[in-house]
Amino acid sequence: MTSKYQHLYVVIEHDDGVPVPVSLEMLGEARRLMDGFNKKYSSDEKVVAVVLGHNVHKLCEELIYYGADYVIYADSPELRSRRNIIDTKVISQIARNRELAAKFSNASEFVKPRYMFFGADSIGRHLSSTVLAELESGLASDINKLVVEDLELKHEHKTKGQAIKYEKTLEMYRPDFSGFLWTTILCLDNRNPANEREYHPQACSIIPGVFAPIERDSSRRGEIVDYIPKFDEHDLRVRVLDRKIVKSAVDFDSHKAIVSFGKGVKDSPEQNIKLVAELAKEIEAEVGISLPISKKPFSVSEGTNSTYMIPDRVIGTSGRKVAPLLYIAAGISGAMQHIAGMKESGFIVAINPDENSPIKDECDIFIKGRMEDVIPILVEELRKQRPAIEVKKK
Amino acid sequence: MEHYDVAIIGGGSAGLAALKQLSDMNKQAILIEAGRKTGSKNISGGILYSKKPKHGKSYNVEDVYPEFLQDLPVERKITQYMLHATYLDKVFTMNLTAAHEYQANFGYSVLLNRLNGWFAKQASESAERQGGGIVSGVHVRSLSWQDEKTVVETDEIEPFEAKAVIAADGVNSEIAEMTGAREKFTPEQLYQGVKVIVKLPEEIIEERFGIGPDEGAAHLFAGDVTLHHIGGGFLYTNLDTLSVGAVYHYDSLMNRPSEPYTLVNALLKNPLVAEFIKDQVAIKEEIDKNLPKEEQLRTRFAVSKLIKTWNDLRDSYHSRAAKKRLIESGKYKSEEEIKARLDSVQNDLATKYDTKFVTDYVELEYGAKLVPDGKRCAMKKPYYKNILFIGDAAGRGVFVGPRIEGLNVGIDDAVRAANAVARAIDKQNFSTQYMGEFYSQSIEESPYTRDMKEIDKDYLKIFLDAARDVPKDIIGQRYGMVFKLMSSGTLRGLAVGFANILGYDKLLPLVESEETYVQVPIELAEKKGRQVQATYEPTIPTIAQRIARLKYDDDRISHIKVLNPKSEFMRKMVTLCPTLCYSMEGGGDVTLQHEACIECGTCSQETDWHHPRGEKGVIYQYG
Amino acid sequence: MTTTTTTTKDLNVAVIVKLEPDFSEGNVSYNADGTLNRAETKSILGPHSAIASSAAFYAKVKYGARVAVGTMGPPIAESALQQAQLLCDADELHLYSDRIFAGADTLATAEVLGAGISKVEGGKVDIVFSGHRASDGETGQTGPQTAWKLGYTFLGNVVDYSVDLQNRLLRARRLISLQGFYDIIEEVEAPLPVFISIDPSYKAFFNTVSQRLALEKYQKEAKLRAENYKQFLKVLNTQQLGIDPKLVGLPGSPTIVYKVERIPKAKASRKAEVVDGTNRDQIAKVVSNMYEVLGGMVIK
Repeated sequence: MTSKYQHLYVVIEHDDGVPVPVSLEMLGEARRLMDGFNKKYSSDEKVVAVVLGHNVHKLCEELIYYGADYVIYADSPELRSRRNIIDTKVISQIARNRELAAKFSNASEFVKPRYMFFGADSIGRHLSSTVLAELESGLASDINKLVVEDLELKHEHKTKGQAIKYEKTLEMYRPDFSGFLWTTILCLDNRNPANEREYHPQACSIIPGVFAPIERDSSRRGEIVDYIPKFDEHDLRVRVLDRKIVKSAVDFDSHKAIVSFGKGVKDSPEQNIKLVAELAKEIEAEVGISLPISKKPFSVSEGTNSTYMIPDRVIGTSGRKVAPLLYIAAGISGAMQHIAGMKESGFIVAINPDENSPIKDECDIFIKGRMEDVIPILVEELRKQRPAIEVKKK
Repeated sequence: MEHYDVAIIGGGSAGLAALKQLSDMNKQAILIEAGRKTGSKNISGGILYSKKPKHGKSYNVEDVYPEFLQDLPVERKITQYMLHATYLDKVFTMNLTAAHEYQANFGYSVLLNRLNGWFAKQASESAERQGGGIVSGVHVRSLSWQDEKTVVETDEIEPFEAKAVIAADGVNSEIAEMTGAREKFTPEQLYQGVKVIVKLPEEIIEERFGIGPDEGAAHLFAGDVTLHHIGGGFLYTNLDTLSVGAVYHYDSLMNRPSEPYTLVNALLKNPLVAEFIKDQVAIKEEIDKNLPKEEQLRTRFAVSKLIKTWNDLRDSYHSRAAKKRLIESGKYKSEEEIKARLDSVQNDLATKYDTKFVTDYVELEYGAKLVPDGKRCAMKKPYYKNILFIGDAAGRGVFVGPRIEGLNVGIDDAVRAANAVARAIDKQNFSTQYMGEFYSQSIEESPYTRDMKEIDKDYLKIFLDAARDVPKDIIGQRYGMVFKLMSSGTLRGLAVGFANILGYDKLLPLVESEETYVQVPIELAEKKGRQVQATYEPTIPTIAQRIARLKYDDDRISHIKVLNPKSEFMRKMVTLCPTLCYSMEGGGDVTLQHEACIECGTCSQETDWHHPRGEKGVIYQYG
Repeated sequence: MTTTTTTTKDLNVAVIVKLEPDFSEGNVSYNADGTLNRAETKSILGPHSAIASSAAFYAKVKYGARVAVGTMGPPIAESALQQAQLLCDADELHLYSDRIFAGADTLATAEVLGAGISKVEGGKVDIVFSGHRASDGETGQTGPQTAWKLGYTFLGNVVDYSVDLQNRLLRARRLISLQGFYDIIEEVEAPLPVFISIDPSYKAFFNTVSQRLALEKYQKEAKLRAENYKQFLKVLNTQQLGIDPKLVGLPGSPTIVYKVERIPKAKASRKAEVVDGTNRDQIAKVVSNMYEVLGGMVIK
């Protein structure tokens, strides 16, 4: 069984040859995971990058420097922009192709990859879903931690209640939207005699901004394997008429300061959000929110809803990563996802009545108090001390 | 572009009546309303009358809506109509029920959210059968003409064409403004009305006002409650609420600006009114801060819930229909059982949570609007090209002494306009000669138009009879000769005839003066009034609290632009805007913050005034 | 006279929805360990399912489309169908319910939903709508996987769409977010049938008088229908759907949930100075720090 499923295939996302950051991050994690895997199991499985595009050979070379052992490259003018149907078809062909696998291993029994990675963004989340539907195996999405383990499991269905050992199982950890709980997903063969079935690859889509790429190493050696994609007219049925890059109305990068709020506004959301906006105005800051707020859990006026409780303002792994000079987090407890989005900030001030909030470990100043009490005082002090600044500017 | 025969702009009572009438005549008509649903921006005093004039015909609400008398989407039938002259804690009361019943089939107190909701249901059902209907959440931005058809452009949907337009968009008619059909009304031509809805359980209303379940009372006030402005206060009984407000000459307010909320507060503080509106209210006590946080939260939650139960049960107990429902549902076996439960809940609140039960009043909604005085501003020719103006949009409000009518006038106008349009559709002739002039003629024949031009001597007699008890020395001193004249039947006829020849408008300044509305009543009350003791002091909400209770859908852009921030008029807006949207900035400039605007139009004279875009703006719950 | 909305069923659409816990503040209930207290939390039509329903309603108002709504779940999931019918004036409601569907992951769910959509009356479904993701679970996988099983063209993150009935083509604008990189608005065209996953920012907009009148008409009809939703309901089990029991429920699920745990607190990366929020002097000091950081020097 072990030689039927080998290697970790990483589906690379790029825009005309420029890799989307999550692609290099995935490679980095893939490299670390497989180095550990090969050591633990004394094996020689590869990290294989899968690239679909047109005239992006340069990209393939870079991928090797960033950790890929091999790059399977399908070039075609039809693969220039991302279209789900044809991408799914081609990637699935590549995944099932024994000849390709033979280029980098003993593939006499090769059926499909052992593991697969995708980026968890608009394209990758859907692409991973359709590829895994085609490959008839399991997918866990929005993952931020991965561990390979030999697990002994007793499952009413998977093992018919027996204790069975599953070797080389990929534990895929996904945070829930509050950011405080981890759900671990496993993709497991059915070892129940009534319904035996093998499920590979074990696949996941990875949250951008979580893992770090490896240091670019131009001394790394690898090979680019060309693949001629097979598709028919019908696969090309989606026509892209127009594409344009949009700038978000919310521009964090041009602001020196950011004030964010989270569920701490809940006692009187409308008023508290007004306070936050006032504070932001005072220091010419942009306003950000924590992920739960974008789900609109509070009832507020339409104006406030459409201005603030929008995905564009989310700071965190599911949103934007920022690094302003000054970051003020009001009523934010400090879920991992949010911290990941702002921890590079210069100076971090948190306002929170609960001293046990995780954000206390991630800030420079922790103002203990409720935002409805603290912000008015802050605003007053900011106004009081402002004229001094004007004088200096002159 | 889509084509429709008739477009009615504005979904108030007049517009809806036009839609119903046209649809019943098998004509296709659409109604465009800016609010998210018809009625959301409407507010009225308000009483809806049905008239049987001695001369001419009045198209009444029950003529347009045959189901009206069956469904009765109204509050109470007014059977008592009293005028009170006030001075401090003294009141002199005159029974004017005869004036209210004069030439009337009935007068019902109404709340427009409910009334117009019902009108809309009837009108849209009829309209849909003709391929028309109501489109809400759409604000008309401009009108232009192409081959004699009107092209209507809106903020929300694609432009469409109409052969005829009925403008029913109220006293601040944007249609009138954008077409230049008439000038904006000036303060001398307008009244500013402001009111609050007060909660009072059904049976308590009946007991307090001495009325039966199918009856209602209307009380009017003049004297010191007006803070020396020309106009008066009113209090109407609804089913389980009261409409309490005041209507004042806008130019009187311009001469000596008072905040509208101050005016309505003066009325609420009057001892007679205070005694009318009082109720039993539960006051939450402060929760012991020494208790653990969770305990505090749990207690706060429990008290809120229990007070809500007490309020709901109390309202049900004092409502005939609700009591019946409770007993029929099996939850309670008898009225006594409901009372017992109510008492026990009250006892629990008092003993367990220290809740206090005090006498105070409960306010539900604050609102204001401008009312056109037909005597001064009714459009002589209420049409422009193929647009017919009806109701407040045509300046046609009836104001005669205590008689204020707008709803029924709008409905009457609507029928006349609908008839004119239907006739035009049949001949496919929408010219001013065939349609506009026909409508204008019809309006001339309306008994309401008569009331805007002449004094009705029989109506006058009613007042004189009602004022029988008024000491001659108070009245006589001021009007001396005139009063002597009026008291005599024959001479009265001659005098009124003469006055009508002279012209109503010449007499108006004499009649509608501070003397009539303030000084005479004050003297009356002082000299002849009875004393009224208020048993408590009403806790009046601040204007900020009143605004907070209103519901808005804010359009982030401002719908009004200040044209001259330094003008005298705009400075007065700082005081006269009912929701304090205007303020003075450092440099003497008046600035606008539009979020609390209730679209009354008080500031429309010197601003680029518009309603907000579709669905946006204020949303009245009662109206 | 006006143009009346076409009543011939030129277009047949379906929506797949889900009954989810109500996560809004005041309604959601959590256990002490932070997990959702399902027993105490009410269930409602998921917010993304609601948006998908409004997208289907647009097709009915603008094109006179026939609308079917389907969901996989236990009997209580009927209420999701009822709520959806109120939003889109559905002509047909499907509940895919069978004890063996329990424990299904997205692949096993897609198997059921795909089979169910093929059972919609009125001819082959031209457009299927699904929400972006469920508010519990949140994988966003079920839509695309169902599309794949049906062989329909999948278009995700659709912010608006229009249909060329004559040529059986759909045009859509998609919002593609390359997280943290940039966003792209893409306009695409695809032949029917299509499976659309609707973007959370989608808002149905009716921009002519006739559409608005049709909107009123269908909204009134929807209210009446939803009150008697059972008349429109079909309940289908494994056999009626004609699917292989091995491919549904737990048996048909490659993935399982292994465990749920609290994310351990990461090591502190900064050492915070704790300030008393009621102490004005301390806050004044924080403010002067802030101004320093922002690049000004405070001159006293």
